[in-house]
Amino acid sequence: MKKLLNLFLIATMLLVAVPVVAAAPPPQDGGQDYVVVADDWLSNLADKFLGDVLAYPAITYYTNQKNSADSSYARISNSDEIEVGWKIYIPSSEEAQAYFAGQTTTVGATGDTVKIGALAPLSAPGSVTGGAAMTAAFEIAVEEINAAGGVLGKPVELVLVDTEGLPERGTAAMVRLINQEQVVGVVGEYHSAVGLTAKEVAHANGVPTVFAETWSADITRVQYPEVFRIAPLSPVVSSVDAEFVASLPGIEKVVIMSENTGYGIPAAADTEAFLAEKGIAAVSFFADLGTQDFSGIVERVKAENPDLIWVLSTGETSYNFQQQAAEGGIGPQDVPMVCNQVAADSDAYWANVPDGNLCFYRRIGLPKQKFTEATTAFEARYVEKTGKESAESYAMEAYDSLKIMAQAINEAGSTDPGAIISALENISYDGALGTITFPYGTQNPVPDDMDAMWWHQFPDPAITIRQYTEVGQADADAATVFPATYKTADPVLP
Amino acid sequence: MENASYFLLALLWILCWGTIGAVVTPRIYGRKDLDVSQAGLAGAATGAAGGPFFLIPLWYLTPELDWKWVVIPAVVIVVIFAGAFAAADPDNLCVTRGGFVATQLVNGLVIGIIYGLMALGLTLIFSILGVVSFAHGEFYMIGGMAVYYLTTIWFPGLHPLVGVLGAALLTFVIGIIFERLFLRAMNTGQVERPGEYAILVTFGLAFFLQYLTLALVGANPKKVARFVEYPAINLPSTENPALLKVTVSSIQLFDFISISTSRFTAAIIAVVLLGALMWFLYRTWIGKALRAVSQDRQAAAVAGINPNTMNTLAFGLGTMLAGLSGASLVQVFSWVPWVGIPASARSFVIIVLGGMGSLPGAFIGGLFVGIVEAIGAGCVPDPQRAASYIPAYGMLILTLVLLLKPTGLFGREL
Repeated sequence: MKKLLNLFLIATMLLVAVPVVAAAPPPQDGGQDYVVVADDWLSNLADKFLGDVLAYPAITYYTNQKNSADSSYARISNSDEIEVGWKIYIPSSEEAQAYFAGQTTTVGATGDTVKIGALAPLSAPGSVTGGAAMTAAFEIAVEEINAAGGVLGKPVELVLVDTEGLPERGTAAMVRLINQEQVVGVVGEYHSAVGLTAKEVAHANGVPTVFAETWSADITRVQYPEVFRIAPLSPVVSSVDAEFVASLPGIEKVVIMSENTGYGIPAAADTEAFLAEKGIAAVSFFADLGTQDFSGIVERVKAENPDLIWVLSTGETSYNFQQQAAEGGIGPQDVPMVCNQVAADSDAYWANVPDGNLCFYRRIGLPKQKFTEATTAFEARYVEKTGKESAESYAMEAYDSLKIMAQAINEAGSTDPGAIISALENISYDGALGTITFPYGTQNPVPDDMDAMWWHQFPDPAITIRQYTEVGQADADAATVFPATYKTADPVLP
Repeated sequence: MENASYFLLALLWILCWGTIGAVVTPRIYGRKDLDVSQAGLAGAATGAAGGPFFLIPLWYLTPELDWKWVVIPAVVIVVIFAGAFAAADPDNLCVTRGGFVATQLVNGLVIGIIYGLMALGLTLIFSILGVVSFAHGEFYMIGGMAVYYLTTIWFPGLHPLVGVLGAALLTFVIGIIFERLFLRAMNTGQVERPGEYAILVTFGLAFFLQYLTLALVGANPKKVARFVEYPAINLPSTENPALLKVTVSSIQLFDFISISTSRFTAAIIAVVLLGALMWFLYRTWIGKALRAVSQDRQAAAVAGINPNTMNTLAFGLGTMLAGLSGASLVQVFSWVPWVGIPASARSFVIIVLGGMGSLPGAFIGGLFVGIVEAIGAGCVPDPQRAASYIPAYGMLILTLVLLLKPTGLFGREL
């Protein structure tokens, strides 16, 4: 206890002392080499030689620059960790000032690479399946960008951070990417809940961000200049859903099984509202992500006597519900069921929902017959890399989000955030999702009669409803049953 | 809820008189120099059940209090609770459809057996090592993963029951190795604070196993095909299967109780394992030695039992029981590396409910939690929240038990 108290006192004294010392700097002329001794840390050296504790990034920068020419200098990968005996270079005050003056344009492009940040859920409670798919897609994008000469003539370095699907982790991840890694832009993310908090950090720091698979309308509705999105808008998806349900004969009552999250709750409300417009009644059930045992809920859903069941829960939670519903006599072969879109991962779907034939599922992204060259090429590489049968929509989105950022930086000709944002607003990028543009932004404001959610939004991600008609069928062989423009077969009703 | 006020009034009545009974009764018994050990609990139960009508005679007559004074009022409370619920929400499925309630009860009971099996492992570890293993859920997860890899990936066609045995062996061996490497130090005086040490080291093991599995097998959900394919049975006849109807996926009893075949298989496996465990603990020398160590370490050591060996064995058995519950459920649920987290939290609730270290307590607690979860998910009127609250039902039980009987149903009195 006493030890803790001492530590606390020392920490407090340090905090109080810092501004006093900083106010009386002993300026030093001319850069010099320095060998780290015990008890040194960079901010302390910055204070001693440059008169400012916060000047330590300049030491890191110049030392790393020297290191690339002369390996006797250390390479500092983390400013918090330096070792005794390392040779580092302490810049002169002028050099340090030059570094800070030029920082806005050299951030992230310092050294030999251009750093781009990426967000993805890599551990629970986030969708690890989604995160793993996105990671593979990012890797493919980085390889392609670097093989084509990189960005601004330098290779791209991707800094991937785990968001765990949690809003607070999203904030922390963004702060780390921007302040510590000093990335020029951020791409990716799967969960809306994370996107909603991450966009605030992007906005506060003025860092261009392209979200991949976050559907919440509020992410773009706030009209932040830095925030772009290539995923579909949740209300648009819900309206397509409702159109599909209305196109089926004899549907009067729908049960929605959703998840208790920032995605699931508004998505269920949107779907209910759109169904109500079509004169279809709906009851929503919610369960936490990670719920395993649905036996109690299946009985309740059965008692509602629905004409159709709509599963908005994602991940393995959806598999659990769908399979247990089938065992309880209200599976896709008993009542028309729209399974969650993760059903598009056909291997996992059939392993987890063996009684799930005749399931409908939504798929984002072009249907096979409309694949562009870029889609085909990406899918081939993705299939080779992951061993899956086809590429999921969120993999395509992750791939496109990174490639579009790289293209924007190249078109901007610098890593200046304003230039990148302007390049993104004017971009026309041909990728796995088709040709991506952002029609509404600062140069072309969202019209008053349109919802503000269309700000910096890719307007046209294809949304189709597909159906498995044979046990074990691959996603690529499943029938597209809606909308009419993409349709390959009529829906089969149980 | 149409008449929520009825239900709230009944709840308020139960809570008020329960509290008054719990506070006043021990004082009255104390003033008369009678045994007060049961007075608080019995007073709370009697007060909650009958209010002043039961409490005043109790305070006046001060009879000797035994288990009847808890059990009978508890039954009355359940009846009042159910009655008030029925009056408040007359259209609820749990009120209007007996078959619905029966199905929920049976489903709760079936899953409760497996909860019980898992909690038994945790309580076994606690009773002998005095350690609460925070890695219990991870062994549950490994049990399921092992069956998946044995029967689906490495040896396709291997009989699922062999896979279950393989999972048992694997979790047993991991448990033993971990105990020898990390927990043995607690009993040899190498660790200054054994209690805190055990919490930290098992926590560490939990994270290690979870992320190691994630790295090794990936995040895609896995599942094993049903262990047993039941033949189609229709009783009394195919046209009119009013008594029993068995299909590939479900068993339907009396036309209204329905349960999935995979869950039924899992419950059967669990019951057989429970029988085997009871036989081992009560009929074999090693089992008796284990129980002796749990009762009194020193005395057992004097009688020639090596407590350290029993520690290792108990930890291995405990982790094996968690592994076996996972192994039997991997055909029911989709399996991911973090599947053990909620399962582990539930096991803690169960062993606190049953009494830390009590074997029958863990089993009965498992059944109880299974039933409460099923009834809660089935009867809570708001469909939006019924399933979201599933983990909360367990926590509610935990809170009540800690308030009323901190030693649990079958725990040793302190």
